[in-house]
Amino acid sequence: MRAFFSKILYVILIRPWLKLIIGVRYRNKKIVNDTPQYILVANHNSHFDTLSIMAAIRYSQFKKTHAVAVEDYFGKTSLSAAAVRFFFNAILIGRSSKESKKDPIQQMSKALDKGQSLILYPEGTRGQPGVMQDFKRGVAVLLKDHPNVPFIPVFLEGFGKVLPKSKTLILPMNCTVRFGKPVFPKSTEIEDILGEVKTAILALQKRDERYTNDFENI
Amino acid sequence: MSIYGYHIPTNVLVALLIIFSVLVTCTIAFGILNKVKKSKLSTELLTRVISWWWIAGGVAVIVAAPKVFGTVIIAYISFVALREMFSIGIFRSSDRTAMFFAYFAIPVQFYLAYNNYYTQFLYFIPLYMFIGVPFILVLTGQTEKIGRSMSVIPTILIQTVYLLSHLVLFYNIEIEGYESGPGGLLIFLLMITAFNDVFQFTWGKLFGRHKILPKVSPNKTVEGFLGGVISSAGLGYFMYFLTPLEPWQSLVTGVILSIMGFIGDAIVSAIKRDLGIKDTGNIVPGHGGALDRLDSILITTPIFYHLLIAYLSF
Repeated sequence: MRAFFSKILYVILIRPWLKLIIGVRYRNKKIVNDTPQYILVANHNSHFDTLSIMAAIRYSQFKKTHAVAVEDYFGKTSLSAAAVRFFFNAILIGRSSKESKKDPIQQMSKALDKGQSLILYPEGTRGQPGVMQDFKRGVAVLLKDHPNVPFIPVFLEGFGKVLPKSKTLILPMNCTVRFGKPVFPKSTEIEDILGEVKTAILALQKRDERYTNDFENI
Repeated sequence: MSIYGYHIPTNVLVALLIIFSVLVTCTIAFGILNKVKKSKLSTELLTRVISWWWIAGGVAVIVAAPKVFGTVIIAYISFVALREMFSIGIFRSSDRTAMFFAYFAIPVQFYLAYNNYYTQFLYFIPLYMFIGVPFILVLTGQTEKIGRSMSVIPTILIQTVYLLSHLVLFYNIEIEGYESGPGGLLIFLLMITAFNDVFQFTWGKLFGRHKILPKVSPNKTVEGFLGGVISSAGLGYFMYFLTPLEPWQSLVTGVILSIMGFIGDAIVSAIKRDLGIKDTGNIVPGHGGALDRLDSILITTPIFYHLLIAYLSF
């Protein structure tokens, strides 16, 4: 029921707004709808990242796709927790670095066991636009434990300019969501899987010509 | 022809019919080519023609539908062009507020054009946006490289909003004894500009030997340019029935618009070369960005408007 109302909002309001006003373009979005179960991994620069990815997903997949959000940031107020649950079908996890009652990997594993899909940002947090940070291990652990679930690399370009970290002004800017083909990791070592994920995301960045320049940090 | 009391001039319908029959012919030809001998070129041509259908649909609304629809479409195109310039250009993070503010010049400028407040239309961007944008930049307190932002943001507004909004001014022109009305003027302008692009491209591809601007745009040749000018003059002469002009005036207009189209094309090419990009975006499949398509219209629109005023006042 939640997914239904959320999807209606996406179709009549959010998607037209993203495409007509903000300037979001999609590449190969068929891939997501053709893959029954996946872990979507993307670079992370903006709160618009998840919104734009969710707007691309068809209802049958939308219902069972969860964005993974950290509890100590999004769960701070009950309003923001409700919002991310409503719009992103979010699973709120504790940060692995901090003391937490719930084990984040176990929470995500449970969703995967039920046949659900995840959206993950291996960088952990929104970084500087255009700069890729070190990846957290979680995604590799999940991929190793669930060999039947592929990951779909996604490269988000230009979103750091629409709404960068610590800013509130939303600026219309051309930006692209580029989906890659689903990949089953070949290696079984955590570090190697992380390497595969990173290469897959960066390969999407290089494939097309860049249409946007990042802001100078002044 | 009248639809529910709304009158569409016959000449405009004839011109639209010509455009759509050219499109139908191209679509069938390229469609067959793509079926029989599928290659990268044939797919590319087909994508381009499909984009032309969208463009022609927009043109049909602009020239034949009531003024308000045309104005909204032109204003949105202007918004897309501005967004594209902001996306490809080099800015500072502290410019974001001023850029956000700059977007609001679009509704104001098109409101002025729609209501024919010609004086205010003329000075709003060159004066007030050139004061407002620098002031907002000053308020952010970051002075490093502020001069560049102060000049670039308002200049982009001139290019993508001010020049393009002249299209709406044609809706306000009323000439006694001239039946085709604004639709006739607009379709004349848009047809000459669009076909001139095609003429210059085709002549250049067929007979191009001598480069005309080797450092800016290696694809442009003297032969393409001259061929384009002559063909556009011919088209201008042939299409004079759409305008209130004499045939010779229409021919001269074709020549001038062809040269102006070339200039507009060259300006956008130079900007792209500076930024190291091939296209300004990817919003029009097969063509690139909105600015790749609009480059010549940006310059030909105000020039045609002023030419027309000059002819009519003699």
